[in-house]
Amino acid sequence: MLDSLSTSLKDALKKLAGKTVVDRAAVDELVKDLQRALLSADVNVKLVMELSKAIRTRSLDEPPPKGMGVREHVLRIVYQELVRLIWTATDVKLEPQTILMAGLQGSGKTTTTAKLARYFQKKGLKVGVICADTFRPGAYDQLVTLCQKINVPCFGNPEANDPLALTRQGLSAFKDLELLIIDTQGRHALEANLIQEIIELNKLTKATHRWLVIDAALGQQASEQARRFHEAIGIDGVIITKMDGTAKGGGALSAVAETKSGIVFIGSGETIEDLDRFDPDGFISRLLGMGDLRALVERAEEAITADAVDVTSMMKGKFTLRDMYQQLEALNKMGPLKQIMSMLPLGNMELPSDVYDVTSTKMVRYRIIMDSMTSIELDDPSLINSSRMQRIAHGAGATLDEVRELLKYYKLMQRTLKGLRGQGGKFNMQRLMKRFSGMQ
Amino acid sequence: MFEGLRERLQTARARIGSSIQAVAAPQKEHGEAPGLPAQPLHSSATFADKVKTFVIDRELIITDSELAGALSDLEIMLLESDVALTVTDAIVGHVKRDLVGSHRRIGQSVDALVVGTLRRALLDVLGKGFDLSEYIRSHERPVKILFTGVNGTGKTTTVAKVGAFLKKQGFTVVIGAGDTYRAGAIEQIDVHAERIGIKIIQHQQGADPSAVLFDAVQYAISHKIDVVLADTAGRLHTKANLMNQLEKIRRVMKPDLIVYVDEAVAGNDAIVRAAEFDKTVGADVVVLTKADMDSRGGAAISIAHTIGKPLMFLGTGQAYDDIMPFSPHAVVEELLGDG
Ligand SMILES: Nc1nc2c(ncn2[C@@H]2O[C@H](COP(=O)(O)OP(=O)(O)OP(=O)(O)O)[C@@H](O)[C@H]2O)c(=O)[nH]1
Ligand SMILES: Nc1nc2c(ncn2[C@@H]2O[C@H](COP(=O)(O)OP(=O)(O)OP(=O)(O)O)[C@@H](O)[C@H]2O)c(=O)[nH]1
Ligand SMILES: [Mg+2]
Ligand SMILES: [Mg+2]
Repeated sequence: MLDSLSTSLKDALKKLAGKTVVDRAAVDELVKDLQRALLSADVNVKLVMELSKAIRTRSLDEPPPKGMGVREHVLRIVYQELVRLIWTATDVKLEPQTILMAGLQGSGKTTTTAKLARYFQKKGLKVGVICADTFRPGAYDQLVTLCQKINVPCFGNPEANDPLALTRQGLSAFKDLELLIIDTQGRHALEANLIQEIIELNKLTKATHRWLVIDAALGQQASEQARRFHEAIGIDGVIITKMDGTAKGGGALSAVAETKSGIVFIGSGETIEDLDRFDPDGFISRLLGMGDLRALVERAEEAITADAVDVTSMMKGKFTLRDMYQQLEALNKMGPLKQIMSMLPLGNMELPSDVYDVTSTKMVRYRIIMDSMTSIELDDPSLINSSRMQRIAHGAGATLDEVRELLKYYKLMQRTLKGLRGQGGKFNMQRLMKRFSGMQ
Repeated sequence: MFEGLRERLQTARARIGSSIQAVAAPQKEHGEAPGLPAQPLHSSATFADKVKTFVIDRELIITDSELAGALSDLEIMLLESDVALTVTDAIVGHVKRDLVGSHRRIGQSVDALVVGTLRRALLDVLGKGFDLSEYIRSHERPVKILFTGVNGTGKTTTVAKVGAFLKKQGFTVVIGAGDTYRAGAIEQIDVHAERIGIKIIQHQQGADPSAVLFDAVQYAISHKIDVVLADTAGRLHTKANLMNQLEKIRRVMKPDLIVYVDEAVAGNDAIVRAAEFDKTVGADVVVLTKADMDSRGGAAISIAHTIGKPLMFLGTGQAYDDIMPFSPHAVVEELLGDG
C-alpha cells in the first residue's frame, strides 16, 4: 500500500515535470497525493489540511525561481513547509541538567533513558538515573540492568510505592552528579491522577527539560496526547522511538506541531547504542515515502565521480551492452535500483517505469547472461541473432526468454538515453544533481 | 471507548442522510408518509428530526455526485478516528456501492437506510469476534497459546490479564516466560504471575525462549493444566533474525492459537506489521491493548479488517480486569445506536 502511495506521489510529480508554467490541475493532484502520503504516515488530519493548503497556495502564487522547473519548485515548497514544521532548533547542551521523561505506556521511556545516559556519559558528563516508576512490575530491574551495562548509577527501589518521595531521595543521593535523567511510569491523557503526578514530579525536580517519548507507530492520538502532556508540564522536546520498523513517525510530527518543540533524538533499536540525533532530511523523505533525497543525491554523486558510469561516452551515442553491464554494476553499489533511478534527476525525462523495474536478483541474472556473451556481442548487440541467443542462454543456464528480456531491457535503456540526448543536447548529470541537492 | 468514532459516525450518518434527503426532497409531492416515528417532527431541529423524512413507496435514484460531499466527509471522519487509509477506502467504498445505484426502492426512512448501510459496511470490516473460553472448552488440553507482537504493545500485561480471566472461568493456567531478552522482562512477568496466583515457568535471561516454552508445555502436560500462555519478547517485523526465532518457537511449542497483540492507538503501520507477522509466523486472533487511551478506536476496526483475523480482546487499562471480550455486533451497535 505504501509503495503504491509513493508511486502515485511520484506520478503526480512527473506530471509537473517539464512544465514551465504552474498547472493548477497538476498541483491540485499533487497536493491530493501528498495528503494521502502524509495521512498514511499518521500525520494529524488537521495538520495535513493546513500543510496542503499552504503548499497549494505557495505553489500557485510564488513564481518558480529562474532555471527551476515546476516540479522542483513544488517539491521544494513541500520540503520547506515540512522542514519549517519540524525544524525547531533543539540543541542538546552538554552541561549540568535534569531531564524528565514522559510518555504513553510502552512508548520506550525506560530504554531511552538508558540510551540518553549513555549518550551524555560518552560526552564526558557525570550521569545518574532515577527510576520514578513504582508502578510497573520489573520497572526498576529493567532500568538497573540497563544502567549496570554502562556503569551509570541508578537510584530506585522496587518495594517503594510513592514516586515523589522516591524521587526526592534520588535527587539528594545524586546531588553531586551533573546530569540526571528521571524515568517515569507510562501514562496517558485520560488518566487525570497520573497527569497530576507528573506535574508534581516536574515541580519537584525542577527539570531543565521535559521530553516526550513517542512511538513511531502512534496514530492520530498523538496530537491529543501531546497536548495534554504539554499543558501539564510544558514539553520541550520529542523523542521518536522504534524508527527501526516501518512506521513513519507522522504521529510524532503531530506531537511536535502540538507542543511547538522539536525532535531531539531518534530511537532505532533495542540496544543502548541505538540512539541518533534527529535528521530532518531523512525524516521527511521517509514520511513522504520517497527515499532519502539528500543521501541519495550524495550517493549518486559519489558513484559518478568514482567514474563507474561513463556518462559522457554513453552520451556520445554509443551505448553497448558493455556499458549497460557497467552501469548495472555501478547502480548496484548505490542501492536498490528502482529507488535510485526514480530519484535520479532525469530532468524532464519521463522514464518508462520498466526501466527501473529491475529487481536486484534480475540484475544478477542479467550479468550472468552477459558474462556468457562474446566481446563482439557486447560491443555490438545487433549481431545477436537467434542461434547466438541459444548459445548465450545455454552458456548462462538461462532460458531463451530471459535472454530476450535482457535484450529488450537493453533496447529500452538505449532508447531512454537517446531521449535524454534529445533533450537540450547534453545530459549534465553533475549539474542536475546540484540543482536537485540545492533544493532545501 | 468508541465515543469519538461513534460521534463521528453519527455525524456522517446525518450528513449522508441529508444528501439523500436532498435528492428526495424536490419530488416530495406526496408529502410526509403516514406513521411518523415516535418522536414527532417539531421545530427544534434535532438530528432525528432532520433526517427522518420518510420516503415511502418511491423509486429513488441516488447518484454519485449527490453523495460525493457526504462521502468525503465520512472519509475524513474515519481517518480522524484512526481508521487506516485502506480500511477507510473499504468502508467508504461499501457505503457508496450500497447507496449509489439507479432506482433504489425505498420503503423505509432515509435514516434507517443510512444506518443499515453503515452497519453492513462496519460489520464487513470488523469480521468475527472470538470466544476464547469456548475455544478452550472445545479443544484438547493443554491449549497452547502463543502471544506475539512488536515492542511494548502490551503482550506481557495481556498474558497476565488473560491468565486472570481464564482462572476466573475455572481453567488452570501456566505461564511460560518466553521473553528472555529484554532487561527486566522475567522479573516483570514473575511479579504478575505471583499476583494473580498462576504458576510460571522461567529460565535465565539470555536462555533460548523455545526451550522455556517447551518446558512450560511439558509442565502443563504432566500436571494436566488446561492452558499454556506463552509470552515472547517484543520484536519488530523488520528484524529477520528475531522473526526466525519466533518461527522456531512456533515449531518447538506448536501453539494451538497464535495471538497477535497490538495497540489500539497505533496508526497505519498497524496494518503493515500485522500482515508481516501473519506472513512469517501466522496470527489466528488479535488483541488490541490500550483502547482506554483513545476514545475513537479506529485502529481496532482497521486491524480486524486488514489481517482478516478475529479480534479476541480489547485491553482497556493496566489492571488485571481491564480486558474486554470483543463482539463486533456489540461494537457496531455502540457506534451506530441512538443511545
Ligand atoms: N526496536 C526498538 N525497540 C525499542 C526502541 N525503544 C524501545 N524499544 C522497546 O520497546 C519496548 C518498550 O520499551 P520500554 O522502554 O520498556 O517502554 P516504557 O515507555 O518505559 O514503558 P512503560 O514504562 O511501561 O510505560 C521494549 O521492548 C523496548 O526494548 C527502539 O528504538 N527500537
Ligand atoms: N493504558 C493501558 N496500558 C497498558 C495496557 N496494556 C498494557 N499496558 C501498559 O503498557 C506498557 C507495556 O506493556 P507490556 O505488557 O510490558 O508490553 P510488552 O508488549 O510485553 O512489551 P515488550 O515485551 O517490551 O515488547 C506497560 O506499562 C503496561 O502496563 C492497556 O490496555 N491500557
Ligand atoms: Mg518504563
Ligand atoms: Mg513483554
